[in-house]
Amino acid sequence: MSTQQLTTQLIRPCTFVYLLLVILTVATWAIGRSGLSGLGLAMLVLALALLKGQLVGDWFMGLRGLRGIWRWVVVIWLLIPGGLISLAFFLSYRS
Amino acid sequence: MSVTEFAEVGANVSGAPRAHSEDRYPPGDLAIWIFILAELLVFAVFFAAYAFTRMNHIELFNTYQATLDRDAALANTIALLTSSYFVVRGVVAAREGDNRACARWVWGGVAMGAVFLVIKSLEYAHHIGAGISLSTNTFYMFYLSLTFFHFMHVILGMVILAAVAVKAGRGGYSAEEHTGVETGASYWHMVDLVWLILFPLVYVMQ
Repeated sequence: MSTQQLTTQLIRPCTFVYLLLVILTVATWAIGRSGLSGLGLAMLVLALALLKGQLVGDWFMGLRGLRGIWRWVVVIWLLIPGGLISLAFFLSYRS
Repeated sequence: MSVTEFAEVGANVSGAPRAHSEDRYPPGDLAIWIFILAELLVFAVFFAAYAFTRMNHIELFNTYQATLDRDAALANTIALLTSSYFVVRGVVAAREGDNRACARWVWGGVAMGAVFLVIKSLEYAHHIGAGISLSTNTFYMFYLSLTFFHFMHVILGMVILAAVAVKAGRGGYSAEEHTGVETGASYWHMVDLVWLILFPLVYVMQ
């Protein structure tokens, strides 16, 4: 694969993903700074975190193009703490 | 479809043209991925423990969460993301057979890791100066232990990346053989991945 192809196929999308990750991080920080709270907002922040984790797994860790179980390793991991954290926050708002 | 075309289609994001049989496995040494899975499992347990403990101490957690420096956490998150991006560029350079560029990018990743450590150390110094310790309350027990556990992983990741950068600087990798770069990069991205959950959970979510 030539340098030009690598730039087009890998560096450009990874640069875009990096910028997107920074934007989503600033959005998360801004929500925290706003002082607002609530189950919906907490779930939004968690969803942003899970999306960011998925982007890192797919693009930075290089799992996007895989076949089989390794393709889903990060997805599965994100769903475990993501699901448990969601459940804990949901229960805490119900009580 | 020719073998070359097939390899091109199978290229994963980290840059390597992959043979059909190779696109089942992640980049780097498979052993590091077993280690990464074990680490991720431990952090998942930590995160769940934090969230379920918080259920019984909501006021306490919300009150003391507000004392944390979210601006520092933002800077640290951007430092780790930038570091991960630099390391991705280092992997791509290694796959092009450009050892000098690989070393430069990976050293850049190490430098951003150092920025993270400095900012986090300043946060710890502030807390220690205020007399805060693990035994201050349940929130600080989780905050200090979780972030310090991650802090130790950042140090280990930086040591691994420094070893990769030194080897790259000596021309130790090639377009054909650069597993070491991918292995170090995979570990470093795991450190980043964990922080991406830790940051909103401990600093933002209420």
